[in-house]
Amino acid sequence: MIVAALAVASPAAAQHPDLSGMWIVQDPGSGDWQAWFDNVPKPQLRPEIVKDNEELAARDRAGYVVNRAPRTADCPVGNLPMMMASSPPLNIVASNEEVLIGAESNRGRFIYTDGRPHPDVNSPSYVPSGFGHSIGRWEGDTLVIDTIGFPRRVCDSRKPVMVTPGGGRAKETTHLIEHYRLVSPDELSVTFTWEDPTVLLAPHTYSYTYKRLRDGTPIENNDEPTAATQQKYITDQIESK
Amino acid sequence: MPQWIATLLLMAGSTAFTFAQGGAPHPDLSGYWELRFDSFNVPRASLTAAAQTAAEARRKKDLDAIRGCANIGMPALMNDRETLDIRQSASVIGMVAKSPSSTRYIYTDGRTHPDAEELEGTTNGHSVGRWQGEALLVDTVGFNDRGITAVPGGGYRTARSHLVERYQLSSDGQQLTVTFTWTDPAVFRRAHSYAFRYHKVPAVTEPRVLNCIPNDAERARFLSEAPMPLRF
Repeated sequence: MIVAALAVASPAAAQHPDLSGMWIVQDPGSGDWQAWFDNVPKPQLRPEIVKDNEELAARDRAGYVVNRAPRTADCPVGNLPMMMASSPPLNIVASNEEVLIGAESNRGRFIYTDGRPHPDVNSPSYVPSGFGHSIGRWEGDTLVIDTIGFPRRVCDSRKPVMVTPGGGRAKETTHLIEHYRLVSPDELSVTFTWEDPTVLLAPHTYSYTYKRLRDGTPIENNDEPTAATQQKYITDQIESK
Repeated sequence: MPQWIATLLLMAGSTAFTFAQGGAPHPDLSGYWELRFDSFNVPRASLTAAAQTAAEARRKKDLDAIRGCANIGMPALMNDRETLDIRQSASVIGMVAKSPSSTRYIYTDGRTHPDAEELEGTTNGHSVGRWQGEALLVDTVGFNDRGITAVPGGGYRTARSHLVERYQLSSDGQQLTVTFTWTDPAVFRRAHSYAFRYHKVPAVTEPRVLNCIPNDAERARFLSEAPMPLRF
């Protein structure tokens, strides 16, 4: 019995604060999504990103507010900066070797805390997602998460690129470092630092505060297409060719 | 588990156990789990006449859900062909399948189900768990009829279905046996029980999300057209 029990024991693991639960981001009352998303210390953007932002804004003003990139099997899933800033509560399950972070009941991020390194995200075998590849480690009472491996383009969000708060980008050259710390049992602080010399002239840092939603029940996204709406998708796709 | 073994494991800094709010250590079900060819003990369910009549319509409805890349829900999440990721903290257990699905949450913090009038049905239902020795008992209500509703052995999930599960980790931590018992007077003549045995697999790498495309015409055709009889 003891041999069997010890056989499943992992290397030493100190007790860490349990981040598990539902957490809702504290929007100070900015009024609309874009105002809230940009309500961070201003990043120092490279001139070409400033220009690209101006072009994206012009497209928005002209009414082109839908990303019409074809939805194909290789579309990256997810959008990390958007999920972390959005009003649907984060749903965190923190086990010893992996932390799950989703929004409501949607699947989201996998943060590996089992000591594994990042894979070679430049390898053809690496399939990027909008959540990147995340590994985490505890530094005292703070969970430090390191994320790379974002996709070059996205096709399921309003813009064809993944925009970070303040107008930066998350893409294949981007590196994100997050610090998660329980300020109190019901308050979680997350500090984000984005690094990407092709986007930023200096690392961009900002923090969000999340409040615990005790006894919350996650809402499920129940947009289930019917056979009729699927047929319409298919018909539209054929007609557009 | 004897106290002295628990103490020894604590001294070893074990992660094989998690601590409930209140302090007692429990087996840690966390890991990547797969079903194999010998993982299924599924007797045939005894169905009501209404359920037998509805079987073909339900099959077509489930197929529509698959075509539409809808969240598969319970119990399909538990028999997903791909690796099931189970993560356990002291207060909640999360389960993630690769197929389109919501994360399943099992609350082990002592909460009860919300009042029925406050509970919006979901494909996974609302699950609460409690430890009974080294086994985890899970009670689930609050389903809807979306996603894949088929229950192994026959029958289907409805908004009135009630599921009880028992999770038992083997002594070496490498196998997880789950017994499922469904009750629903509209579907089953008597409680329908079956069991799966999952095998632990080494850490898997990303991506673990199947990017399902509902508007893939060829895929839709494959799923909806009856295969032609073959002659050689």
